[in-house]
Amino acid sequence: MAKLATAWAIFQGLLLEALPFLLTGVCIASLARWLAPGGAWLRQLPAHPLLGPLTGAALGFALPACECGNVPVARRLLAGGAPIGTALGFLFAAPVLNPIVLASTWAAFPNQPWLLAARPGAALLLAVLLATLLRLLPEAELLDPALLEERRLSQPLTQVGLLERRSGLVGAIGGTVQPVKVPRPPFQELLQHGSREFLDLAALLVLGCAIAATVQTLLPRSWLLAVGEAPTMSVLSLMLLAVVVSVCSSVDAFLALGFAAQVTPGALLAFLVLGPVVDLKLLGLFRVLFQPKAIALTSAAAAVAVLVLGQWVNLMLL
Amino acid sequence: MRAFAIGLWGAVLLQSSLSGRLDLLLNGVFHPLVALSGVALLLLAGLLLRGQEIPVPSRRQAIPKTWWLSASMALLVLAVPPNPSFSTLATNRPAELGDEAELSFVLPPAQRSLTDWVRLLRSQPDPSLYAGDPVRISGFVLPQQGEAPQLARLLVRCCLADATPVGLPMRWPAGRTPQADQWLAVQGTMAVEERNGQSRSVVKVQRITPISRPKRPLEP
Repeated sequence: MAKLATAWAIFQGLLLEALPFLLTGVCIASLARWLAPGGAWLRQLPAHPLLGPLTGAALGFALPACECGNVPVARRLLAGGAPIGTALGFLFAAPVLNPIVLASTWAAFPNQPWLLAARPGAALLLAVLLATLLRLLPEAELLDPALLEERRLSQPLTQVGLLERRSGLVGAIGGTVQPVKVPRPPFQELLQHGSREFLDLAALLVLGCAIAATVQTLLPRSWLLAVGEAPTMSVLSLMLLAVVVSVCSSVDAFLALGFAAQVTPGALLAFLVLGPVVDLKLLGLFRVLFQPKAIALTSAAAAVAVLVLGQWVNLMLL
Repeated sequence: MRAFAIGLWGAVLLQSSLSGRLDLLLNGVFHPLVALSGVALLLLAGLLLRGQEIPVPSRRQAIPKTWWLSASMALLVLAVPPNPSFSTLATNRPAELGDEAELSFVLPPAQRSLTDWVRLLRSQPDPSLYAGDPVRISGFVLPQQGEAPQLARLLVRCCLADATPVGLPMRWPAGRTPQADQWLAVQGTMAVEERNGQSRSVVKVQRITPISRPKRPLEP
């Protein structure tokens, strides 16, 4: 009974802390929809395999929020027809590459300059890697069907067939169709769209927080940190901890500070890099973006990449 | 349904802020953000109620099932306040986790809180420095394996999910071992004891007063 009551409290803590960030993200996405209806600028973003994810990552500086807040913004980017690589670069790198997270990392580890450079560097590397990998999947296998449908409507007919788009004039010649200027959406439509997005995401957040709270209560954390001193095991255990704890990226550096002295440097970096990309709370939210197969691929690729990175850091610094 | 569900989440956030529930769940930094979001969601619900519903494309459900789930969960959160067992939470986490920050100043012994003592002992671990100092602290009882229960507090950076226990070893009066999770105010003196060949500081308890859980039980 005590465990159930504790899990319920952790669940509420995670949820109440994440909801304001989710709302911020939805507000920014709605604002973008209002300021640039039709999202023509989104389609001007570079589609270059390397430049795309780097541009997406740089957009993180415009959204100082954690990983929950940037899911709705990434969804808006994808729905508006932004190149896949750019949107994914934003999704995976922005939770670290933003002023608040960089400042909190500096505040927590002022005496570890290598970490201040390594965290954003590793986050960028991971984002480019994941974006490059996921771009290999056809959009229909990568994106959630509802999102794909919205995206098809934003893409020019030169890129997408009428059957894929499921609307438009049969017989129109793709190449000559000029993009139609989309009028600014009425305020009420904007509110309804934003609120629908918030409620969809809130339901998934509830699910993610419930899983994270249950696992945290049942799995003693000492199991995760007991193996902290062996290089490989320490990286693996801190990766598992990052996935289970699911705290937001703007404060995870302070949490890491608590056990920084007991774990290897590679494990510390792994905790700070993996958590903002994959955790139990996020896996629920990712359902508004990706197909289950793509979520599994993201999790597996991120885990392997972070493990290799952590090992390499341990090799260099130990 | 849309306005109702949005309003319900707004009510959850605002009620949590006003009722003091957040003090039990989140670091104080986030409290204004939660309250502000609650107000924003309630305003949004009001605007949605005033406006006309725009019909959704037929392929999408007018009211997705997930909204019902989300609204039910919001009602449940409103109806069932959190009541965590701090000792269950703390037992699940290694007690040696803690703050490494250097102490900028040190209060006189009788004014130090439990967390102040733990930080001081961590930065200056020589137990002989504190022997005989008066101790007046409060905290919850955290059982330990193979030794007497400690008096502890939880440090929280973000929310309960990252709560880290900090505790002080206690020497309780004979026959008065307190129960787990009980909140106590304790008076005593700092003493030195040998354990596993090493000396450490321990609080020799002289007076115990049971107290109710403080309004703000979490330490930043």
